[in-house]
Order: sequence, then C-alpha cells, then structure tokens
Amino acid sequence: MLTKLWTYLKDFISGMDYVHREKAAGITQWEEKELENIFILLLTGSFSGIPAPPAFVAAELLPLLSREIKIFNQRAENSFDTLAEMTGLLDID
Amino acid sequence: MKTVFFTGKGGVGKSTLSAAAAWQIAQKGYRVLAVSFDPAHNLGDIFETKLTHRKKRFKDGLYLQEVDLEKAASEYVKASMNLMKEVYGYLQSFNMDSYFSILKYSPGIDEYAALTALEKILAKEGTNFDYIIFDTPPTGLTLHIFALPGVTLAWLDRLIKLRKEILAKRFTIHNIQGKYAPEGVLLSYKETDDNVIKKLYELRARYSRVQEFLQGKDNQVVLVFNPDVLSLKESQRLLFGLEDLKLPFSIGFNNKVTGMSAETVKNIENELRKKFPSLKIQRILYSDNNLTAGYKLEEDIISPLLKGV
Repeated sequence: MLTKLWTYLKDFISGMDYVHREKAAGITQWEEKELENIFILLLTGSFSGIPAPPAFVAAELLPLLSREIKIFNQRAENSFDTLAEMTGLLDID
Repeated sequence: MKTVFFTGKGGVGKSTLSAAAAWQIAQKGYRVLAVSFDPAHNLGDIFETKLTHRKKRFKDGLYLQEVDLEKAASEYVKASMNLMKEVYGYLQSFNMDSYFSILKYSPGIDEYAALTALEKILAKEGTNFDYIIFDTPPTGLTLHIFALPGVTLAWLDRLIKLRKEILAKRFTIHNIQGKYAPEGVLLSYKETDDNVIKKLYELRARYSRVQEFLQGKDNQVVLVFNPDVLSLKESQRLLFGLEDLKLPFSIGFNNKVTGMSAETVKNIENELRKKFPSLKIQRILYSDNNLTAGYKLEEDIISPLLKGV
C-alpha cells in the first residue's frame, strides 16, 4: 500500500515537474521563434517596405536561414490569429 | 603600404593630380601603383597609354590600372545570379532563370562592387607597392563607397546582438528540455556551432579591416578643387562627409588657378579654411604645358603628401 502511494506521489511530482518545464519551455520557444522572425524580417526588410541592411549582407546569410524563412512564412499565414495563439500560450480561456 | 585618395567634384583635375603625384613619388624611388576608379577613366589618356583592369608597367616602379566599375558590378550580379540559379535550378528547364537579370539594377550594387574591387587591390598589391594612389569617382559615389563599411558594420552589430539573443533562448530551452529539436532538427545553441553567427562574425571582421584601414594613419584623402563657387560648395559637402566618416584629410589642392582669378582664389580658400582650419591648401597654377603628358607637373605636390601619410 505504502509502496503504491510512494509510486503515485513520485509520478505526480515528476508529472508536475514535466508540465512546468514544458510550460516554461513553450514560452521561451515562442520568444525564440519571434526573435528568429524579427531576424529574417530585418534581413529581408526591403521586401516588406522597411529599411534593410545592404543587399550583399542578406545575400551572404540567406542560404543559411531556411528555418527562419519557414517561420517567417508561418507567421505571415497565422498573422490574422495572433491573439488566439497568445491566449493559448498563456492558458487563458 | 600607404594609400592616397584624390577626391573632388567632376572635372576639377583629380585624375591629372593623382597621375602627377604617382609620377613624382615614383621619381623618388618608391614603388607606386596608380589606380583609377573614375568611370571617366582619364588615367590612360594622361599617361598616353591604353589601360585595362590589369595593372600595366609604365616605367620602373610605376604601374597603372583602371578599375572598370561596370564590369565589377556585372561580376557581382553574375555571382548572385549563379547562386539564385543554383537554388532555383529547375527554372532553367523553362528558360525562366533569365528573369533574375533584373538584379543588376539593384540599388547599392555600384558601391559594393567598388568596395570589393578596393579590398582586392589592397589585399593583392599591398605588399608589392609602397604607395597606391587612387583616383576616385565623383563626390556622391565616393562618399557612398567610403560610408559603406561603417553602414554595414552598424547593421552587422545589430544582427549579431539579435542572433546572440536567439542562441541564449535556445540554450535555455535546451537546459529545460534536455535538447531542442523542433520537427526533429537539432538546433545549435552555441556560437561555435551556429553557421549564421559565424558568417556574421566573418563579415564583421572583413568590414572592420576595411574601415580600420580607411581611417588609419597609412591612408590619406586629398581634396582637389577649382577656384569657383560650385567647386567650393561641393568641396565643403565632401569635407563634412569625410569628417562624419572619420576619414583622414589634411591637404587641399586649389587646381587650375590663373592670374585672372586672384581675388576669387583667396575668397574660396578663406571660405574653406573658415570651416576646416586644419586643411592645408596648395595652389596649382593653370598651365598650357599640362595639355600633353599632364603627369609631368612642374609643381611639387608630393612633399605635403609624403609628410602626411
């Protein structure tokens, strides 16, 4: 009985730990993705009408930035629903 | 190796004076390379010889070269087009890759091409010559070329800062989760593993070298002007620009001075001295002898240059 209770407690604590870790990681991941989005937005600024670095800087870096370009595209696709994403991330119903 | 850039409004005599300086320095026994960046390309006319983008020996210790900015720009565009064609190789089968030729009209290509050509000459010829004398394009383009390393460095610094923040976030996620591999791809969180920040550092090192060289003690920018109001106005703009860019200038050549213009000559020089008190001014008298073999100028124009650099 005691062993069962102990196992249950251990699972509960490790589950709590996992949930908290995932939550903290989720927010940081969202921030990290947003930074990557800003990075590519700055590099390709002239594309969207904002000041951009000299073209050759972007040309040197773009071949290394496929992930950022993908995020940039996703951001553009989901731009109409950013509020829903934010509320989901912060657990607001 | 020391360098001197002859700058000024179009038609003031930059090419003639840079040619004369190169000739006079070579006469002193130094190894000199005179390079023309001016699209008008008068250097060959002044030395009465045909020049190309490859350096040509004029006499012992004096070599001449003309940089074809249009060709340099085309080469850069060609490299960019090849990169695009590599990525979008399938378009070649539909003959659609030709649309990338529009790249040659991108703003900033000329400045970048000129700066790259300048970097190449400094790297290749730095050890072969004691002096490299540059004849520059008209004021606007010259200032843009000089400003390019600083502008690029400002952008690179901001991008490096942002990339460091991205890596720091990834490091945090890595610490929480054990690894950070969205969609099965393990993302780098250390600077030593991240190709983007390595490329940014590489670009920063490259442009810092150019910037340090341009602002360094082995470089000197010389102003050439004529005794007229338009030349004065443009010279003032140029000197303000050089001051902003922290480029070393100390000598101004008041070129094509005639006896008729004595009062104007004085007024123009006073106007320049008022705003730039440290600028030394030397007058070069207009002479019909300059019409042929213009590089053999009678006036000594290199004593202040040799002292200055």
